[in-house]
Amino acid sequence: MPNKTVSIHKRSRRLMARETVSSYLFLAPFMVFFVMFVLYPMIMCVYTSFFDATMGRDDIFVGFDNYVELFNDSVFRKALLNTLIIVLVSVPVTCAFSLWIASAISKMPVAATSAFRCIFYLPVVTGSVAVTMVWRWMFNNYYGIFNYIGKDVLGVLDKNINWLGDSRYALGCIILILLTTSVGQPIVLYVSALDNVDKSLVEAAEVDGANAMQAFWRIKWPQMMPTTLYILVITTINSFQCFALIQLLTSGGPNHSTMTIMYYIYYNAFKLYRYGYGNAMGVILAIIIAILSAIQFRAGQER
Amino acid sequence: MKRLTTLLIAMAMVLSLAACTPSSPEETESSNTPTPSTAATEATDDMVTAATEITLWTYPIGNWGTQDTVDALMADFEAATGIKVTVEYLNYTDGDDKVNTAIEAGAAPDLIMEGPERLVANWGDKGLMVDLSDLLDDTDIAEINAAALTACYSTDGACYEYPVVMTAHCMAINKTVFEAAGAMGYLNEETHTWNSVEDFVAAIQAVYEYTGSTVGAIYCGGQGGDQGTRALVNNLCGGTFTNAEHTAYTWDSAENIEALELLLSMDGIDFDASIVGGDEIQLFYNGTLKVAFCWNIAQQLDPNTAGTGAGMTGTGDEILFMAFPSDDTPQLCGGIWGFGIFDNGDDAKIEAAKTFIKYMCDSEATADAVTAANYFAVRDTAEGTDLSGIWADNEIMNEYNVLMPMLGDYYQVTSGWAEARTAWWNMLQAVGSGTDVTAAVADYAAQANAAAAG
Repeated sequence: MPNKTVSIHKRSRRLMARETVSSYLFLAPFMVFFVMFVLYPMIMCVYTSFFDATMGRDDIFVGFDNYVELFNDSVFRKALLNTLIIVLVSVPVTCAFSLWIASAISKMPVAATSAFRCIFYLPVVTGSVAVTMVWRWMFNNYYGIFNYIGKDVLGVLDKNINWLGDSRYALGCIILILLTTSVGQPIVLYVSALDNVDKSLVEAAEVDGANAMQAFWRIKWPQMMPTTLYILVITTINSFQCFALIQLLTSGGPNHSTMTIMYYIYYNAFKLYRYGYGNAMGVILAIIIAILSAIQFRAGQER
Repeated sequence: MKRLTTLLIAMAMVLSLAACTPSSPEETESSNTPTPSTAATEATDDMVTAATEITLWTYPIGNWGTQDTVDALMADFEAATGIKVTVEYLNYTDGDDKVNTAIEAGAAPDLIMEGPERLVANWGDKGLMVDLSDLLDDTDIAEINAAALTACYSTDGACYEYPVVMTAHCMAINKTVFEAAGAMGYLNEETHTWNSVEDFVAAIQAVYEYTGSTVGAIYCGGQGGDQGTRALVNNLCGGTFTNAEHTAYTWDSAENIEALELLLSMDGIDFDASIVGGDEIQLFYNGTLKVAFCWNIAQQLDPNTAGTGAGMTGTGDEILFMAFPSDDTPQLCGGIWGFGIFDNGDDAKIEAAKTFIKYMCDSEATADAVTAANYFAVRDTAEGTDLSGIWADNEIMNEYNVLMPMLGDYYQVTSGWAEARTAWWNMLQAVGSGTDVTAAVADYAAQANAAAAG
């Protein structure tokens, strides 16, 4: 009898070992990719941030000089401020607008819900360059549709506004475009989350006298919290990493009014060839995003 | 644990984006910086056999940016030498980024076609290019335009570009509108010059009053076409962009500040940070702007997208190319284009690339290379072939020749050129946004000079 038990244990250990090996083999392709294209660049980014690295000469170790210079760099401070403005405006607006739209369309017949989901998701699946070029045309100083409507149709503008070339309007334009391209996915996620809310709990609350608002905040909202948390984190990261819009529309101008940290990293690395300095900014941005994500997770869990 | 993992992944996403470009110290030393060919090879005195395949990256220099034209040139070259050339076409929006990324990855092309500002002042200055002095014998040196050839040499005496074509950058006016506005009296149509700076200001005002809209734009959304804004500012009050020795940037001079203040005060001129040179040309072609500061013979010859013909806007108005307004002889910014070789440490490929340069710039085939570029040859003869009559039958090219004597100093080879260009359009944006001109100019000129000082 004991011999039989030992044999079963051996066999089960062999089986487990084989499964473990299989698991690692399945993981291996991803791990190789992750190490080569994520982990290694990440480590190199931190490493290079301590060097005065540029093209055509050996890198010079400068310790924390790049980091010290960062905080004395007025353009970096401006970029940081602009990035925070983009995040602080676009994240809550994206979440609130997506929730509002999702609430409205989830009550519609299935065909209408699907149609609206497609419409709001279109900007996400359309190429960002194409979308940006259309916006660029609409904001055009000389023949853009916004100036045409404002000046020639409504008569509220005396003369054309250089939307993307005027530091008073450029950042607002960027945020507006970012919002239109950001709401698609949250709307789809919120519609799914609303569909998954336990209907019996909502009906029970209504039977107990809860009005629509109370039912939403007390029953539906807590059940959608994981979705909201995911949307908050993803939207925050996307807003922090806003780059293509800036690159295609304003190059950080006019007068740095749309400069973001992501674009400033690119600007330093590719225009000024200051790789070490650019990487120091990348490290700072990563730390900021990590801290904000941690706060969001903590707040979400407490709720 | 999950939270930690998520945070790590978030950090990894950001850091990996930021790390697209870095070069590690070791990489810089070993693989990223092309090794000088003299050191990389075991210094044999034997003749190096040329490679049979090389790569050429070309910016859109006339039809050198058009595949059909370039394919024909490459086919002729391959038939003559047996060397196959793979061509990649760059543009001025992100071409520099592509080249720089390739350099960092140790994958720079064998040949590149552009001007001394990139080949000499940027990549040459950084030790990435092959010295082409051995390709230039006494006959070549005598034949090539001296100013153009000088621009191809670095301060250490190495030649990093073999020039093939040149032109003078200028501006253009919508002659039809200027005539309608009664502004043609402010300029000399024969010499293509303005009577004076005062007359230029008066002409712009006349056109502004006639059209009621912006006449010309100081485009500053990026560096594209910035030679136009530089030349305009420098010519208006007699300023310069660099000193004569090309060691420092002088755009914080009183003359340049006065010029910027003059432009700011003009009703018909807008500082526009939403467009670059290419956009300005399109706005001029479609009749929106009545003056273009980003112009040269290639634009004058372009029949435009509406197909109304060379020297015409898309709306059918006549275009007149002009020198920049100046009270003295205008100093036009030159454009010199040719070939450079990246030192990738492969002697066989360098040899093949040199064969290519000799074929395109100094042989019977040079006429085709020049014609493809739509510019003027930098020399009158190449290996006995007469190049002076290439454009004899082209009326516009012949007329454009009037601007060539106005070519000014080729200052684009000053150290820190890439950084200085970036500082220039940022300075224009600051000025256009209302920043005090003196302060903005001083601030950005200091950045440029810091780059020049290395």
